[in-house]
Amino acid sequence: MGDGRANNSNSHSNNNSSSSNKPEWLEQYDVIGKIGEGTYGLVFLAKIKSNRSKPIAIKKFKQPKDGDGVSPTAIREIMLLREISHENVVKLANVHINHADMSLYLAFDYAEHDLYEIIRHHRDKVNQSINQYTVKSLLWQLLNGLNYLHSNWIVHRDLKPSNILVMGDGEEQGVVKIADFGLARIYQAPLKPLSENGVVVTIWYRAPELLLGAKHYTSAVDMWAVGCIFAELLTLKPLFQGQEVKGTPNPFQLDQLDKIFKVLGHPTQEKWPTLVNLPHWQSDLQHIQGHKYETAGLYNVVHLSPKNPAYDLLSQMLEYDPRKRLTAAQALEHEYFRMEPLPGYNALVPPQPGEKVVNYPTRPVDSSTDIEGTISLQPSQPVSSGNSVSGGMQGPHVMQTRSMPRPMPMVGMQRMQPPARCGSASSSTTADEKERLRNGDDWIPSTEIKALLSYLT
Amino acid sequence: MEKSDHTSLSDLLCEEDESCLNERCFQDLGFDLGCVSDFDDEYIQILIERESIFQSDGNGFSMKSEKSWLNCARLDAITWILETRAFFGFHFRTAYLSIIYFDRFFSRRSIDDSKLWAIRLLSVACLSLAVKMEESKVPALSEYHVDEYNFEGNVIKRMELLVLNTLDWKMSSITPFAYLHYFSAKFCGELRCEELLKRAVELILAVIKQINVGEYRPSIIAAAAVLASYEYQLTEKNVEIKMNVISSWGSFEKEDIFSCYNLLRKIRSVKFNTPNSMISPNLSSSQSSSIHALENSSITSSVGTKRRLAYSDSDRFCPPHKIPHP
Repeated sequence: MGDGRANNSNSHSNNNSSSSNKPEWLEQYDVIGKIGEGTYGLVFLAKIKSNRSKPIAIKKFKQPKDGDGVSPTAIREIMLLREISHENVVKLANVHINHADMSLYLAFDYAEHDLYEIIRHHRDKVNQSINQYTVKSLLWQLLNGLNYLHSNWIVHRDLKPSNILVMGDGEEQGVVKIADFGLARIYQAPLKPLSENGVVVTIWYRAPELLLGAKHYTSAVDMWAVGCIFAELLTLKPLFQGQEVKGTPNPFQLDQLDKIFKVLGHPTQEKWPTLVNLPHWQSDLQHIQGHKYETAGLYNVVHLSPKNPAYDLLSQMLEYDPRKRLTAAQALEHEYFRMEPLPGYNALVPPQPGEKVVNYPTRPVDSSTDIEGTISLQPSQPVSSGNSVSGGMQGPHVMQTRSMPRPMPMVGMQRMQPPARCGSASSSTTADEKERLRNGDDWIPSTEIKALLSYLT
Repeated sequence: MEKSDHTSLSDLLCEEDESCLNERCFQDLGFDLGCVSDFDDEYIQILIERESIFQSDGNGFSMKSEKSWLNCARLDAITWILETRAFFGFHFRTAYLSIIYFDRFFSRRSIDDSKLWAIRLLSVACLSLAVKMEESKVPALSEYHVDEYNFEGNVIKRMELLVLNTLDWKMSSITPFAYLHYFSAKFCGELRCEELLKRAVELILAVIKQINVGEYRPSIIAAAAVLASYEYQLTEKNVEIKMNVISSWGSFEKEDIFSCYNLLRKIRSVKFNTPNSMISPNLSSSQSSSIHALENSSITSSVGTKRRLAYSDSDRFCPPHKIPHP
């Protein structure tokens, strides 16, 4: 954190603090500091000047290599975010283009917590498990958001605790928001190897069919990840903590499979008929099929009785055959969610008075990193994958299969509502779109094309 | 869709070389060859429903307008896009998608008459964006070769941003290619699908030169292309019977498909030199089957109510390939 700053602020002194040099879009914010950095770029915490009660996370996309144009990741993420709208999915408030260096900034509603930090807090600080109400509410909301995405043919592909945000104090306190839609596509997505562009994706939440080399993503890969996250909420430890094999592209992760088999037993063709078609199953007979596993038993690992509905739900999410794995819609109907304690809207505060409320820490803010100092910079420092606002960028992917759950009656591809609070328009309704086209709008300065054209002549 | 070993299929429109079209090309279209399942039925049904959402907000400029220079420039842009698609071996849908962007851009903005170079820059930006949406291998901007101009990466990027902004970042769109295999299996049953699909692809790539992509819905174009690829001619009644396969299609869609079908039949007659009573004399077989003949032809039709691009004599000096430097 912060090590890229020294040379930044010095070499770009003309960008520093002088408000006349501040790009116009930035004028509407008070930037408080940096809250995260990752392979995707940097994330800053800011407040809107006109509404200081409303924190915003501003995500700066790392500038792609010169000569590549706008990065495919940015295009896909923004496109997707503009087309989806759901209570349990992170909300894109605005898109800003910094015209000087053509960098892109996304403004999101800020979420104070994420599951990674919540789990860590329980494990390392308070040393006690997360209460049943909170686990169930977090899981229910996660499934609710995921059901929405899957109904819209969006596979997230990179669900992990750090990508599941939870809102802090305010109207939406304790509401889960699924974040990070880096490689989103809506239809017939090309399949990229997971390690492409050097983006490191944790393998702990990766479904067995992917580990065995399946070429097609289905929504079932997300459900596997949810199963792993569910277990982690219960035990505060990652369920399958495999050693990652580094290398490109997309090396065979034997240790991860080994960790899974040790808990769930060896997959068999009777239980998973298409198993034999998977590339790594064929090519790695010796290691995978030759090994005998003494099954520890999932219930032992998560300390649940096999008769417990929570165990039943978990084991159906961790079904080997992706076709038999529970869907998000089915999971939401599971008995577990109909038993006391019932899941609630505010996952962090149980409705029963007298229940102890855990005070989770707020995100550390590095106020020494100035957003302005980073604005006209070229991509520079290699960045580690962060756990803050929105982890790695290897995001969702659209389903290849057509065996998706039926779409919900109101599918999210409708236009998003225009953001009520943000000055410059980002989303639009048909009416205001027409209006903007007529008048020229503030988001795309109507002079822009003229400027572009004159610049070129 | 894995495309790693995708060979560069020559541009069908330009070369009409049939040998290069192999199975890979069909996988290209989004389906493996094989039976159509219930899943496909459901999938196609949802795709069709979704089209209306994407289609709703004005999909292109009117080609009826008097801006013949724009029609010319558009044709030039499409030719460049298709050639570049062939060169890099991009999917057909990628090229199609870039033309969707191009048309949508002009439905929202305009470029001054004399700025033909800006149109060329726009075609590069639209293709590059479509490639980023659809392809797993994305070339550097400098690899796009434009004859007369040398656009710097930053200039192309600026244009990309302008396109993204103008289209409100709504870059996802269904193309007719998503339907081809399904419709050919549904309409044509046991017939030799590969030949038929190949012709349908050619027809789709030919028809976008003549109509704005927004004029017909992608499913309509796909259905009409499959039907028009048939060897024999279908009456309106036949078309309607075939259409009943898709339960959500009402009389409006059927009418649309028939009018699109007739347009495609004409294109096909010209393109393949098949004798056909419906073509007008000036499109006789004396004209070569190359696409340039098609581009310069005057195709007018009394069938159907859709607008279509009719090249007047004054458009004939539209340079087939190159736009002179302003």
